[in-house]
This record gives sequence, C-alpha cells and structure tokens, in this order.
Amino acid sequence: MGERGRKHAMLEIKNLHASVEGREILRGVDLTVRAGEVHAIMGPNGSGKSTLAQVLGGHPAYTVAEGSVLFEGKDLLAMKPEDRAREGVFVAFQYPVAIRGITNAYFLRSAVNAIRKHRGEEELGPVEFMDRLEDKLRVIGWDSSYLSRPVNEGFSGGEKKRNEILQMAVLEPKLAILDETDSGLDIDALKTVAHTVDKLRRPDNATVLVTHYYRILTHIAPDFVHVLSDGRIVKSGGKDLALELEEKGYDWIREGAAVA
Amino acid sequence: MRDENQLHAAVVELVALDNATIKYSTIQNWYPGDEEGRGGIYNFVTKRGKCLGKDSKISWTQVETGSAITWKYPGCILQGDNSIGEFYSVAVTNQRQQADTGTKMIHIGKNTRSTIVSKGISAGRGQNTYRGLVKILKGAEHARNYSQCDSMLIGDQCGAHTFPYIDVRNSTAIMEHEASTSKIGEDQIFYCKQRGLSAEDAVGMIVNGFCREVFKELPMEFAVEAQRLLGISLEGSVG
Repeated sequence: MGERGRKHAMLEIKNLHASVEGREILRGVDLTVRAGEVHAIMGPNGSGKSTLAQVLGGHPAYTVAEGSVLFEGKDLLAMKPEDRAREGVFVAFQYPVAIRGITNAYFLRSAVNAIRKHRGEEELGPVEFMDRLEDKLRVIGWDSSYLSRPVNEGFSGGEKKRNEILQMAVLEPKLAILDETDSGLDIDALKTVAHTVDKLRRPDNATVLVTHYYRILTHIAPDFVHVLSDGRIVKSGGKDLALELEEKGYDWIREGAAVA
Repeated sequence: MRDENQLHAAVVELVALDNATIKYSTIQNWYPGDEEGRGGIYNFVTKRGKCLGKDSKISWTQVETGSAITWKYPGCILQGDNSIGEFYSVAVTNQRQQADTGTKMIHIGKNTRSTIVSKGISAGRGQNTYRGLVKILKGAEHARNYSQCDSMLIGDQCGAHTFPYIDVRNSTAIMEHEASTSKIGEDQIFYCKQRGLSAEDAVGMIVNGFCREVFKELPMEFAVEAQRLLGISLEGSVG
C-alpha cells in the first residue's frame, strides 16, 4: 500500500450526489482510483451503478447537486462531455446506440482524430488509420467486415459490447468505465472482452468495472471491490469481497449498513 | 412596404428515348434570408421528365438546402414499356425555411418501375413537406413502386409533413410505401460526444448517416459538397 500511496489519484470522487428526473440516485459517493488500478463496483439493481457511469461521462439527463470529481487534478464536472472524452475518460455503455448510415470505421476514425486534435497531434488519414486498426481488431477477434457495417446497427447485444471494447482499444483512454459490459454476453464473448480489457491494463491507465456478476472478475482481477447500495459505497475490500458477495448476495451488506 | 424576397423559377424538361438513361442531379443552396426569412429566395421550380422510349430511365437526385421557400416536384411520366423513374431527395430546413417537395411518378407503360427515396430534415422553426403522387394507369401492367419517406426532427419547434398520394388503376401493380419520423436523440449525440466529437460534428454525422441512401446516388464531387453543405445549413441548430 505504501507504494500505491505515492501514486497520484487519477480519479477522486467526493460526496457525489446526483439525480435524474428529480429523483436522487447517488447520495454521497466517495471513490479514489489511482493509475494502474482496476476497481469493481458491484451492487444490486437500482443501487446507482449505471448512474455513476453516466454522471462521470457527463450525460445531460443527470444533475449533480453536491460533491466533486477530480480527474488528473482537474474539475471533471465542469468539463463538457466531449472534453472529458478527449482528456481520456471513456465510458463503455450498457446499451450503446446505433448510428445509421455511418460505418464503424468512419466513426472510429472521427473519434480518434477529435482526440488527436485535442492533444495537438496530426489527424490520421483513412489508410494510416486502417493500419493501426488491424491489431486492435485481432485482439477482439473480429475481421474487417465489422468496420464497414453501420455503427451498432443490426448488431446483437454481444456484438455491441464487443464494439464498445474495440472503441476502447482504439481510443486508449486513461480511465475506462465499463458499465455492465459483461451482462448479456455468452461465455466466449465474455472471455474475449475480459481478456481484451486485461491486455489493455497499463501502469498509467485505470479501469472501473461496473458489474452485477462475479463472473467477469475471474478473468480480470480487480485491485478493489466496492459495493454500491442506495447511492453510497457501503463496503470496500479486495477481490475476496466479490467472492463473498457471490456466495452471500447483497442483503447482508445492506442490513449491516442499516445498522451502522 | 416593398418585399425584398427574390424569385427563382426554373423549368427543366427531360425526354428519354429507347434505352436512354438520364441522371439529373441538383444541389440547391439559394439564400434562405435572415433569421426571419426576410430577403430569402423563393425557389419555385418545374421539373418534369418523360420516359418515352422502351427501357428508358430518368433519375432525379436533389439536395435542397438554401431557399426561404422551395416548391419543387420533379416527376417522371413512364410511358415506354419497362421504363424506370427514380427520385432521390434530401431537403433541409432551418430557421424559418419551408420546403415542400416530392415527385410524381405516372406509370403508363407495361412493367414500369419507380423508386422514391425522400429524406427531410427539419431544424429551428423549419417546415418540411413531402408531397408526392404515384399513379398507375389502367394499361400499366405489372407496374412497381417503392417509396420511402423519412423525416428527422432537430429541436422542438420544427415540423415534418408527409402527403403521399397513391392512385392505382391496375390490379397487377405492386406498391410499397414506408415512412418514418425520428427525432435526433439526446442519447445519440451524447454517445458521439463521449467519444470526443463536438455537438456539431455529432449532429453532422448523424444527419449524414440518415441521408446516406440519397448521397450515394450523387456523383462523387457532389456528395462531398452535399455533406459539407448539410453541416453548414444545420450550424447552430443544436446547443
């Protein structure tokens, strides 16, 4: 822990309160994520897991009433969603939308170039971009036919999730927030997705896995596991906590939290 | 007070003889006027085509972006047997613009076929109307028509209207009509933004994707131009 203590906090969430359509969902979330770490956020349905992901991404339907979020020392909540993305925050969505008539390749290249431009780097042409894309495709086990298909249109649930991971692999974010990327995947797809996420781990990036299930954590070992319940993190621990949750469910934590 | 609006009234007539194909592409970017439409062009156009010969074909492709008011209905009289009529249209209205456009496909000959693909995009206080006629005459054995009218709304003060007239006098005809209206979604824009795209680029991309079926009918240089024009026409339509 001493060594970790020296690493700077990439994401610092303090007392975050957020609501959607007038309902308060997050009621004081505290969370610190350092570079190189993988955090799993677990919790029952309706506990606020997805809300946390959407709020960090900057979805306009969510209002933050209280609290602060620092990303690399900057006020994340003051940034526009596109600036958060350009600074290196990536959200893999639970229900990715389709964009009709726009190919995956074009969409990806536009995103990469928007981010490169922000960093003061030169934009990539189609040929140059395709060269870089090939490796990433191989990692998630896709052939190039997926690139000429419209973004998520006619994709199965599993394909959409893989597509999110492809985008993540291509955009190389500093902080990736995966919102239930594992749900709706069959075992093989889950393995591919999990291995890709694992391969992308570096000492200078971090991952927050929002998940229902222990399953994905057998492939990606988290450094920390947090339980979100009623909009607060009520328990944090190591990988063992996930196993305990798998065996006992969430009720014992909720009861414990009520007593405390 | 004197009205400052200007009028553009063009007439185009096409005749296709045996085995001839005519492809007529237009990108219109006349002046829409100021924010209230003052001083804009009234674009009232007559465009008609006649497939007179056997196996002839006339294809109209149009991208309408600029005028204060557009009234335009390029049509095809499908007189020659096996002749083909096509109409591909994108119409964009922003601010106070009005576009009332569509086509007439009049099937006279045998085995005549027509395809209509219309994409209307309304933003600001713009109004977009598709108004079209498909008429199958008595002698037009085995005529076919496929029509698709898609409307996209950006914001909450614009309008989309569709008036498809279908008049079939021969029971061997096969007609298909599909129509859709969609609102450009907050979730779609957010998705693009979360990948680093600006609001304007996001809208431009979503709208261009929506128009793809028409743009792919345009000659290469036109298609590039049309995409840029669409972006300019919709500038400032999303906050």
